[in-house]
Amino acid sequence: MSFIEGTRFLLVFSLVSGALIFYMMTKVREGKYLPKIRPLNGLDAIEEAIGRATEMGRPVHFSPGIGGVTDQSAPQTMAAMEILSYTSDLVAQYGNEMVVSIRTPNLFPIAQEVTRQRFIAAGKPEMFKETTVQFFSSEQFAYSARCMGFITREKVAANIMIGAFWAESLLIAEAGASVGAIQVAGTANLHQIPFFVAACDYTLIGEELFAGGAYLSQDKMELGSIAAQDYLKIVSIGLVILGALAATFQYDFLHQLLAK
Amino acid sequence: MRREIPIAITFVVGLIMLLSNFIAIPMGSYSLAQLAQEMGTWVIIISAFAVGLATVNLVLIHGHNLFSAKTRINSLLLLISMFCFSLVGIIEFHMPDSTFWTGLNQNMYENVLSPLSAAMFALIAFYLGSAAYRVFRMRNVDATILLISCVVMMLGQAPIGALIWDKFPSIAGWAMSVPNNAGQRAIMMGAAIGGFAVSLRILFGIERSYLGTD
Repeated sequence: MSFIEGTRFLLVFSLVSGALIFYMMTKVREGKYLPKIRPLNGLDAIEEAIGRATEMGRPVHFSPGIGGVTDQSAPQTMAAMEILSYTSDLVAQYGNEMVVSIRTPNLFPIAQEVTRQRFIAAGKPEMFKETTVQFFSSEQFAYSARCMGFITREKVAANIMIGAFWAESLLIAEAGASVGAIQVAGTANLHQIPFFVAACDYTLIGEELFAGGAYLSQDKMELGSIAAQDYLKIVSIGLVILGALAATFQYDFLHQLLAK
Repeated sequence: MRREIPIAITFVVGLIMLLSNFIAIPMGSYSLAQLAQEMGTWVIIISAFAVGLATVNLVLIHGHNLFSAKTRINSLLLLISMFCFSLVGIIEFHMPDSTFWTGLNQNMYENVLSPLSAAMFALIAFYLGSAAYRVFRMRNVDATILLISCVVMMLGQAPIGALIWDKFPSIAGWAMSVPNNAGQRAIMMGAAIGGFAVSLRILFGIERSYLGTD
């Protein structure tokens, strides 16, 4: 057994991070510490958007983005599934119609299962139809064209876009804005955040997307991991400051450490 | 068992994939990296089934639309296009030496699909205008700051900005490389840590909403 060159620091950092996350989760579960998450307006607005859509008799559109479940965007897609679970609960409670548009075939059965199970849990299995979760297209722009067509034709009143988005983000968001839908968006893809901020009513930026599941469920274990994230951020900031100082005084020990 | 088995599979597969990035473990004539690579092949096989499921969903919905919905023309066009693309692709796969089918397949991609995608991509330019118009209205202090910084940035990037005031390009350059870069890196770091925490929660079965359960 040997370490792969250049990954030692990453492995140690990952192990320490993992240990810290578990420590905080245990602490929260035992009731020794109760973290507070600041209000996330975007997530709070989902209920308002669905309620409004129900009053208007118009459907809800949910897009989990175009990321996959096996690539680098997988955490964003899985975070989107957490919020889909919550959205499905609300849609079932309000008795409204929802369409989940899918681009990645691998995600299709997962989204179907999440939605179906939440409808069953809400006591309304009959609300789940063949059209609730729809595969639109695996082509990026064909997917966005179908989303735009659906949003415009059905005049959706709530458009929720949570997950990994690329160039299609503005196309879909502008279609939602044109029909007056309340729009809640969230992504960790840096270059798409300005588009969402410009076109949507509420935007979850970066890590807010990943905190969504814990925020909505208020599950103690998940809240603990969010608290650990804050400590990890402090460690990262410390490394950034140390790196800046080391670079200023021309010491390359940190650079060498990271390359180990 | 309906929950436990998927969680166990997620844990084992996730751990193998994770460790294969850090440690080289020889397992007889096999190694951990090879096992991880093999699992990548399994993903392709599972994906093929998922594509099948998704296609059935697409055909069912649009087939149903043909008889009932207002959008029957759209659905008809979609089904015809899907059938034609699939047919040409299958024939080309089985007759790789046929210049007619290879050329037709290539032409369909280059002269139908690519221009349509390019047209959709080009739409972004127009939507940028309408989105920018809404954002640039001075509704509150935040929107005003955004408006001012955007105007300075545009003047700094456009040649006319330097003609108005020669400091615009350097101000825009500073704004891009210092505050903008700092903000972007902060978001990236937060997102990376958040993604790591979500991955751990899924790996250890703490986060189960992807299974449709709490």
